[in-house]
Amino acid sequence: MGTSLDLERIKERKALRGFANLFRKEKQAWWGTRRWWINALLWSGMLGGLVLVMLYILPPLAAATGDPNVAEAGGQAAFGLLMGQQVYFELGTLAVAIGVIVLFQDMIVNERQSGLTEWLLAKPVARRSYVLSKLCASLLVVLAVLIALPALFTYMFLSVRAGSFFPPGAFLGGLGVMVVNSVFYLTMTLMLGTLFTSRPPLLGIALGAALGGNLLASFIEPLLYVTPWMLPKVASLVAGGQPVPDGMLWPPLIASVLWSSLFILIALMKFERTEF
Amino acid sequence: MEYVSDFAIETWGLTKKFGQVQALNDLDLKVPRHSIFGFLGPNGAGKTTTMKILLGLTEPTSGRGEIFGHDIVSESLAIRERIGYLPQHPRFIEYMTARENLIFTANFYFRGPQAKIFERCDEMLELVGLTGKADRPIKGFSGGEKQRLGIALAQINDPDLLILDEPASSLDPIGRQAVLDIMAGLRERSTIFYSTHILDDVQRVSDTVAILNQGKVVASGPIGQILNGKDGLVYQVGVKGPTERLRERLNELSWVKNTTVKKQKDSNLWQISVSDEAAAETKLLRHILDDRRLTVTEFSRKEYELEEAFMNIVKGDSDGHQS
Repeated sequence: MGTSLDLERIKERKALRGFANLFRKEKQAWWGTRRWWINALLWSGMLGGLVLVMLYILPPLAAATGDPNVAEAGGQAAFGLLMGQQVYFELGTLAVAIGVIVLFQDMIVNERQSGLTEWLLAKPVARRSYVLSKLCASLLVVLAVLIALPALFTYMFLSVRAGSFFPPGAFLGGLGVMVVNSVFYLTMTLMLGTLFTSRPPLLGIALGAALGGNLLASFIEPLLYVTPWMLPKVASLVAGGQPVPDGMLWPPLIASVLWSSLFILIALMKFERTEF
Repeated sequence: MEYVSDFAIETWGLTKKFGQVQALNDLDLKVPRHSIFGFLGPNGAGKTTTMKILLGLTEPTSGRGEIFGHDIVSESLAIRERIGYLPQHPRFIEYMTARENLIFTANFYFRGPQAKIFERCDEMLELVGLTGKADRPIKGFSGGEKQRLGIALAQINDPDLLILDEPASSLDPIGRQAVLDIMAGLRERSTIFYSTHILDDVQRVSDTVAILNQGKVVASGPIGQILNGKDGLVYQVGVKGPTERLRERLNELSWVKNTTVKKQKDSNLWQISVSDEAAAETKLLRHILDDRRLTVTEFSRKEYELEEAFMNIVKGDSDGHQS
């Protein structure tokens, strides 16, 4: 080099060269700024608030209107618990999926448009490191901010209303389904970010899949078994400790994991061949 | 074994097509080590495409190239370890300060120790005169400060080769001068390969240039050679008196290549293109004055401005393409 610097140079030509540095940068974009706590407050407030409404406000209103489901559930507290966990796992799973798409739509597109990607790739960085660092850092955010923290509040609220700990195994099972569903949309968003250079087609496809999937599956039922579109319902059943009908649990779960793996693979391959 | 060549960059027949558009056409380029190499060309000539190919950001359709003996396609990672790059519009990590951007960039090249990395970042901040703004958010930086920070980031790894895409094009005269001064100061350490369309800047700092037009190098070499234009050395001689036989007498000289005459008010201005500088300096004037009826009102070597040379070359090449 031009001058002899008293620094140890990195010389390894590893497959994931530059990953650690890029991963630190991606983490800092969230955890080093106010983004994380704004989203933590937003998601915990939104989902936790919704659960609180289901636990404490809806039951007396339903009882007052003579809703037979209250008595069927075994009283207002039991009705509230049922509604709380159902809303959190069904609506929450869908809401988190939409949140994932909206929050991470620009994880690649934005940097490509601004020219930052080009600048980063002019460094000794493997392209797969760039893609995987974004995936790992955003996955961390999804797990911690969009899922774990609101889940903690929800679990606390459910347990307080129940007067004892809500069954942790069932709750974690439901969360596991929610995680699989979220990873599906996260990897899809990542892949679309490598395929498109602007947000509209990315958002159109990803939100279309999240919101219109069930509609489509109502016409073509087998789709439910090879897509994650049934997972919000499955998450609710698992968390509620209710039996999941045959073929409703593992096929969509396995299919979602396979889809996610395929999305990552396509993202890596496409990005490797992209010209800047 | 360390590759030793006189050239930092060499390309052979580098070609790039985007669909039907021929961005680069059989580009042969040789960038001498430790030169400040100006890469000139009109907009759309293929300058940025060339740089992107050299950086491994895009692949050539055909042809090949080497940087320090490494193949630009198959050994891109090894090349990028030794390169610093400043894009035309420098981008930074906006939520980081200038110092944090430097540390982040340094971590792609160096393992540590961290204290030494911080020291290196301080050196770079000092080099570009941003020490006082090291810990301020990038958002508040002026265009000139951003450009200087971009150069510091490009230089952080003490590269053997700096690739700068239009480093001073968006700056005011003071900012431009600052950037040119930094480039001149880096000459000892690195080879600088930069694109620009500001010909004045090239004349101030470059020692070697290549002119690109329609994806092809139409002229390349030391700047003095380019400034001589396609006619080579030209002497301008103002002559009064009967000059009917002068052209014939000049053509008798083996080192005179070409003569043109421009009519002026009281005299004729002769432009005499020569192949032998020494002969022209010692014999040309005497030869003209051998004819005692003639008076010489001026005698000088024609100095081309780069802009004139550039326009001649590019226009000549474009006309050639059209005909």
